Amino acid sequence: MKKTMITMSSITYAMKAKEYLNSLGYWCEVERTRKNIGSGCGYSIVVRDDPDLITLRLERKNIPYNGIYSL
Amino acid sequence: MGKNTMVNFDNSAGTFPKPESVRQAVAEAVRDLGGNPGRGGHRLSLEAAERVYKVRKSAAEFFGAETENTAFTPNCTYALNMAIKGIMQFGGHIIISGWEHNSVSRPVYALTKRSGVKCSVAEIYPDVGRTIEGIEKLIRHDTLCICCMAASNVTGRILPYREIAEVCKRRNIAFICDCAQAAGLLSMRVGDGISFICTSGQKGLYGPAGTGLLISSGEYPLSTIIEGGTGATSGELAQTPYMPEKLESGTLNTAGISGLGAGLEFVKSKGSDTILRHEKNLCEIFERGLEKLGAEIYDKDISRVPIVAFNISGRTSEETAAELSKGGFALRGGMHCSALAHESLGTGKRGAVRFSPSAFNTPAQVNELLRFMESRFSA
Repeated sequence: MKKTMITMSSITYAMKAKEYLNSLGYWCEVERTRKNIGSGCGYSIVVRDDPDLITLRLERKNIPYNGIYSL
Repeated sequence: MGKNTMVNFDNSAGTFPKPESVRQAVAEAVRDLGGNPGRGGHRLSLEAAERVYKVRKSAAEFFGAETENTAFTPNCTYALNMAIKGIMQFGGHIIISGWEHNSVSRPVYALTKRSGVKCSVAEIYPDVGRTIEGIEKLIRHDTLCICCMAASNVTGRILPYREIAEVCKRRNIAFICDCAQAAGLLSMRVGDGISFICTSGQKGLYGPAGTGLLISSGEYPLSTIIEGGTGATSGELAQTPYMPEKLESGTLNTAGISGLGAGLEFVKSKGSDTILRHEKNLCEIFERGLEKLGAEIYDKDISRVPIVAFNISGRTSEETAAELSKGGFALRGGMHCSALAHESLGTGKRGAVRFSPSAFNTPAQVNELLRFMESRFSA
């Protein structure tokens, strides 16, 4: 299944996003942002479901994210 | 109690003994959580980060905050410095109470000397209305902040923090509440005028020494007083703007935070009300004994968290505490880092002896202490 990396502002927001999405039944993992995507250190979440749906969920929960990248 | 045979009645300085779960959590973290949380993508780092997040969430729930507004600090003094200087570092007027610990009065004094900050000290009267009226009169056009403890570390006196929070909410002023003595005993939550809760982890939250919390309602962004590595936006020279990492430069104390998490769970499972009732009962037993000894008890008829401050006639507080220590009882004499409070209390240079029990003390221990005191201090 196609995966999407969503870059997050911080490890705390990444953890919060993972916990929230898992509670809704979505598969989600926290990963270090891949070097070809982010500048400097940072954390992302990786999801399998529709990224538009996932980001909508994050926005409704006031969890900020930075960018969306297909893997 | 292990090797230490002293009975600790100085729990306001740090609860001891700790719950077994706290000891286990610290040991397990030192053994298993070796990664630097938020500093890598490998499993060790992520496992440590998960633990930190879990405790952060638990603390956030306990104090009614969002997880991202819950920052770990090395202790309450750091939290207070970060909150006070984060609001006041560019000037303005601050009001503090006449009962504040040096962790408030000293950073404020330093700001008045270095940054042109103006400070007013509010008197706290037994009459709440009179106290609030006095505070309202001290508010100026440039008042940015009121900083006040929820409960005194000297006598346990509960200050009218809820009423002060109402004033702050109405006047759009930040309210920094020092909850070092209240957290774990009173229900303390951010919001409704309380902008920041600063607390120690090793007192009523039963965590290890070297832990603290700075919890924000999110209404007042803080300038940083310490910058450095945060594991976020590392490519930028400017400090990350994202909370809580913005306030958590440098490596976190994973073992301490793990212990604090276990301490929080201990308090949650036992219930703050139950702990408060138990400790108040011990204070009542102790006070009755003190009265028989003719001791002077301070703030006796004022609503307090479980602390008894007293002096024995003809002795300084340090002499009394030293004598009690010889008998195997840890009580604290002196000024308790609170010159302002002792000035307000009228105990100036003499200070006072402080009795502060924890969930682990028993009536039998209090009676043992009283018997010892009778043998040493009876006229």
